[in-house]
Formats: sequence, structure tokens, C-alpha cells
Amino acid sequence: MKGTVYLNDKTGIVVIGATGREASQVIKESEALYPGIVKAGITPGKGGSTELPVPVFDTLKEAISDPKVGPLLNTALIYVPPVSVLDAVMECLDNGIKVLYIITEHVPIRDSEIIFQEKVRRGAIIVGGTSLGCFVPSVGRIGAIGGKDPSIAFRDGGIVVISKSGGLTVTTAEMFKRRGWGTYMALAIGGDIISNTTYADVLKEIKGDPRVKGVVMLGEPGGSYEEQVADLILSGGFDKPVVAFISGRFQERMPEGVAFGHAGAIVERGMGKATDKIARLEAAGKKCPVKVAFYYHDLVKAIESLGVPRDFEDSTTEHVKPLYSTI
Amino acid sequence: MKLYEHEALGSIFKKYKIPVPRYVFSAEMNDAVRQFVEKEPGVVIKSMVLVGKRGKAGAVKVVSDKAQVGKIFADLATREVYGEKSIGALVEEKLDIEKEFYLSVTYSTKDRAPAIIFSEHGGMDVEEIDPKLIHTYVVSDVRSVYPYQIRQFLAGIGFSDKDLLRPLSEVIVNVYNAFWGSESRLLEINPLVVARSGEKRKIVAADAVVILDDDASVNPAVVYGARSAQGRPLTQREQDAILIDQGDHRGKAGSYVELDGDIAMMTFGGGGSTVTAETAIEAGLRIANLTDIGGNPPAEKMYRISRIILSKPGLKGVLVCGGTASNTRIDVTLGEGLAKAIDDMIAEGVLAKNLVWVVRRSGPEYVKGLKMLHECFVRNGIRGEIFDSQLPITEAPIRLKELLIKHIAYKPEQSA
Repeated sequence: MKGTVYLNDKTGIVVIGATGREASQVIKESEALYPGIVKAGITPGKGGSTELPVPVFDTLKEAISDPKVGPLLNTALIYVPPVSVLDAVMECLDNGIKVLYIITEHVPIRDSEIIFQEKVRRGAIIVGGTSLGCFVPSVGRIGAIGGKDPSIAFRDGGIVVISKSGGLTVTTAEMFKRRGWGTYMALAIGGDIISNTTYADVLKEIKGDPRVKGVVMLGEPGGSYEEQVADLILSGGFDKPVVAFISGRFQERMPEGVAFGHAGAIVERGMGKATDKIARLEAAGKKCPVKVAFYYHDLVKAIESLGVPRDFEDSTTEHVKPLYSTI
Repeated sequence: MKLYEHEALGSIFKKYKIPVPRYVFSAEMNDAVRQFVEKEPGVVIKSMVLVGKRGKAGAVKVVSDKAQVGKIFADLATREVYGEKSIGALVEEKLDIEKEFYLSVTYSTKDRAPAIIFSEHGGMDVEEIDPKLIHTYVVSDVRSVYPYQIRQFLAGIGFSDKDLLRPLSEVIVNVYNAFWGSESRLLEINPLVVARSGEKRKIVAADAVVILDDDASVNPAVVYGARSAQGRPLTQREQDAILIDQGDHRGKAGSYVELDGDIAMMTFGGGGSTVTAETAIEAGLRIANLTDIGGNPPAEKMYRISRIILSKPGLKGVLVCGGTASNTRIDVTLGEGLAKAIDDMIAEGVLAKNLVWVVRRSGPEYVKGLKMLHECFVRNGIRGEIFDSQLPITEAPIRLKELLIKHIAYKPEQSA
């Protein structure tokens, strides 16, 4: 198999909520970039529609029963409104889909919890809610990650980027690409309170993959998913270089209630502070190849200091000149 | 969204049969309060605010002398508690308390499941309880939660009061059902008291903290009314910003928070905005506002939020900063929306020309968009530098600091 459990050369995507504005754009872009990776779309009432470059079915069961596309479907990309996500997930699990991405934001937490417990019972992999998708340049793309021209930010290499923020996943891949490190996989895991795939889940999946040279992890305040990485590394569960940036220190110095970003990024009763996460990861760094960057852009220096080899040449000069200056 | 205690009691605790004291809530002294007080031998009066630790602020008072009730009620119903104005007062029966427990239900990210947290040593702030005396029951199967499971848990932690095993386990299951059924992210009762009632003892929730999921299937802001999370009223510009996204779901431009600084922040994307603001603060810039623009908003929305961001008085610099957008058009947002706002504000004489600008952006049509913005700078005499993604996103605020110091002798804060 080429790629990871999240996205590989066997991946065949079915998009749930396929004819919506965002989903149909993503299907068209995906078809242009990696022809054939999306196999089918589902929108109740739109079965048989020809508005997309892939066949559209009313129900997932019909798509699975279709002799042409059915056997190729193994990964679902969910774009339905928040209150319909639980229903879409159950439709996928009950029809035997084992890898799911939930792109939808603002999924009710209670639904997320039911989804997580079902996922555990069924042994499925679910990424999200609030995921932007996954990119493995050598294999393909799931979701909108990187937009119409992902080559701006992505080039094949040995770095794995894992981020709660979708936008920063791309921005980070691009920062590393400019400095000589390409991406093996970029995965936007989403910032929900109940995260179906955590940083630690990903590290456990990729620990034996020889293509992984180093991991870049972007964290946020709230919850304990970043701390779990420190625990995993200290217990010997992952031994490749990991560099991290944890945002949100500034919120600790602001009036309470000035919260920003994802639903999970809320510090409640002193739990989940950015500074505590940083301290835990730094403590792991005393024994293992782990480094926390003070500034976000120091991530590059951090990965260099851990000896992760460049995939290609550094393309930037010492001093970046502005495109335009009027001062 | 956090509920006031009387809202939690009236709409959630009652529905899920969680025993509470007799109570009455009112914004002002009236007949209902007077009749209630008349029947009770003693009452507890609490200021109704969202902020916690009311007791320490003197906003919870036990009153046995009925002559004092009017004065104390008037004070607690209107006073400010940690800067938050009280919306009224809750008057409750005074309980004959034998002991106090701590009970809460919340989501544990460690277990990715609801967690029931219990201590026999309640009544004080949870942070002050010895962690060894706090016990957690993880609900690893949300399809079935029964009192017997809670009794097994209580027996396992050495719960000392065997007579209470059954009633307490039933109350805890009701509390869990309230948490789950009302789509809360936190439901906390501190203290959960054991009160004497003649010969008998009863379990009563003497406090109620409920934080509902803002993304719940029924929007809590619709049920209980929207409220600011900041403990202060919204500023005019913040109110104006909220209107931007109303009735137009294309992109998001209306998330705007005002602070006391002198650097306007036009930032894009949840993660990108956070790291940019963070770096600006670490670098010693005093930021005037926070924004989080995304999802490819049309030029009209960008025009409106640009005017709001740039109209904050006392600005010295402007940072326009975002990562590499996947979806948001840079020509539309910066080349059209922002540029038109600058043109109009300069023409109206409401935007200073001596501000220092740094722009850093990439994404769809960024070459065109940044060129259009540059032309706008030139025709309006705006001073600054424009970068694409060659400059790492968080070096943009640092570059702005350098330019501010060089050109207008800006004095940054001492960074941490």
C-alpha cells in the first residue's frame, strides 16, 4: 500500500452531501487534480443527476450496490449540515465504510460523542468534525485542503503535518516547502472537543512508516490532546522527531471570555492551558526528540535542530524582500 | 453558553427531577418575593450573575432576620460582581445542611467521554479540594447509564454514608441525564447537600452551573437570548460587525473583538488569526482588535469589516495578515473590498495617512489581489510593505514592529 490508512492508493471516495456548494466545488477540483479519486456522490433526491463529474445516488446503499462504483468505495467525505452529520456517519458505518472525514463545522458535541463511541465499537477511522481533509502529495487528496492549486504549498517529502486548524495545515506545509522540507501527509484533524482522530491516534498509525522523517504538530488551548502526545512519546510509543507549536498563550493574559477559534479551544476551570501543554511537551523533549517552537515560524529551526533531513533545496534567501513597498 | 442559576433550575433541573430548594427569582422586590419570605424561617439570597465564586465576593447571603430582607435583596439584585451587573436575585429556602458534596458532569478529552466527577468534600472551590478526594466515573457507553453502576462506583471509592447509596445514585443519574438531555458541556452542582428535614435526610442541589453547547441541536441563544461572553456590553463597532454576517452566509467577516491597543488587526482564518495575534502580542504590539475572516466573503462584506477595523480611534499601525487560503479569493477580499474601504475613508478624511501598514497574504488570485492593493496604497499615499507567503505568516507582525519603530518611533510593550 502506498500512503497511509487515512489516504492511500486504494482510496475511493464517496461524498455525502455531494451537490452542495462547497462539496461540488471540491469534487470538481479533486477530479482535475487526481482524476478518478472521487467515485460517487450522495444527495437524497438528486439520484441520477449529471451535474457532477461523478455519478450521484439517493442513498449510499444504492451506490454500494452499483456494480461499477460500489466495490471501489471505502472512504466517505461528509459535507452535510451539522444536525445531519450523525445520520450521515451512521449511514456510512452501516454500509461498511471504514474511513470517514467529517468536514462539517459546529457538530453538536452530544452527536460527536455518539459518533466517537460508534467508531470505537466498529473499529472505523473517523477524522473530524471540522476537518479540512487530508493530503498525501504522492497519492492524492481528500477535501479542499490546499485549494485549486495545492502545488503552492505541497511537494512530496518526509514531513507529516497534523493540525487542528485547517488553514494552518496548508500555511505550515508551505512554510516548510520553501525551506526544503516536503510533505508526506498533511492531516487537518479539526478542533472539536470530542475529536475522533487525535494527534496521538495519528502517531500510533504512522510510527512504523519508513517514509515519515518528522512530525509537525500544531496545537491549541483546551482539552488534553496535546498532552496525550507527550505521554505517548514518554512511554516509548513514538520515537521520531516531533516539533510542536501551541497557540493561545496570549489568551491567558486577556480578560476571561476573549476566546477565539475552535469550539474545543476553551480553557475551562484552568484546564487545557497552552502554557501547561507547552510544559508537558518540553518535559518530553528532555528525553526524546521533541521540540516546542516559541514563535510559530521557529518551527523550521526546530526541525532543523532535530536533524530531520531536507527533501530538496532551501529556496528562500536570508532576507525576504516585500513584493511592494511604499515606505 | 452559560445559564443563570434560575434558568438552570427552572428549565433543566425541574425537567430532570433534580431536587432543588424552594426558590423564587425576581429582578426587583415584589409580592411574590415577600410572600415567599413570609413562609420561610430563613432564606439565602444570591446575586444572579454568570461569573463564578459569588460567595467570595459577598454576593450570597444567609438572612434569618426578616427585617433585613428588603435591604439585602435590593443590594444583591443590583450590585456588580467582579464587574458584572446582577440581573436580579434568587431567594431560596435556608437548608439545614448536614454535609456538602461536589458533583459535576463534563466531557473528558482524556477518555473522549462524559465524566461524572464526585467528591464527598464539596462546598469549596473544586480547585481547592485535594485531588485524591475527587473521583471520576467515565460514561464509556452513553446508551445505558443506570443507578446500580453509580452505586458500584460509589462503593468502589469507599463512599462512607451507606444509607445514601440508593438516593444519591438516583440523583446522580438524573444529573447525568440532565447533562446529556439538555446538551450541556458542563453541569456542576457545588455543593450538592445532604439536608435534615425533620427526622429524614434529603439530597438537594444548592447551586447550579450549566454551560450549554453553543452548537446544540437547538441553539441556546434562541431559547435563552444571546449574551456576550465577555462580561461587558458589546461596543458599537462590535455590534455593527455582527450585522455583517446576518442574512448573508457567503463567508464570515463579522467576528470582531475590541481591545485597548493601537494596532489594527485584519487577520484571516481561525488558526491563522490566533497565531498572528499571539505573535503580535509577544512582539510587544498593543493590538486594537481581533478578527477572524474566512470562507471567501464577498467584497461587500470585506468593505464593511475593513471600515470597522480601521475606524478604531488612536491607531498607529495596521496588520493585514493571513496564511495561504484554500478558498478565499485575495483579489476580491483585499484588491476590491479592503482597497475600496481605504479609497472611501481617505476621501472622507476619516483614515490617517501616517499609519504604518504590513500586508502578508497568499491564496487564490493573490498576485492580482496584492497588486490591486498596492495600487490603492500608491494612489492614497498609504505607507507600508506588502508580502506574499515568502515571509512566514508570523514574521509579519515582527516586520510591522520594526517599521513602526523606524518610522514613527513606536514604543513596544516589554515582551514576556
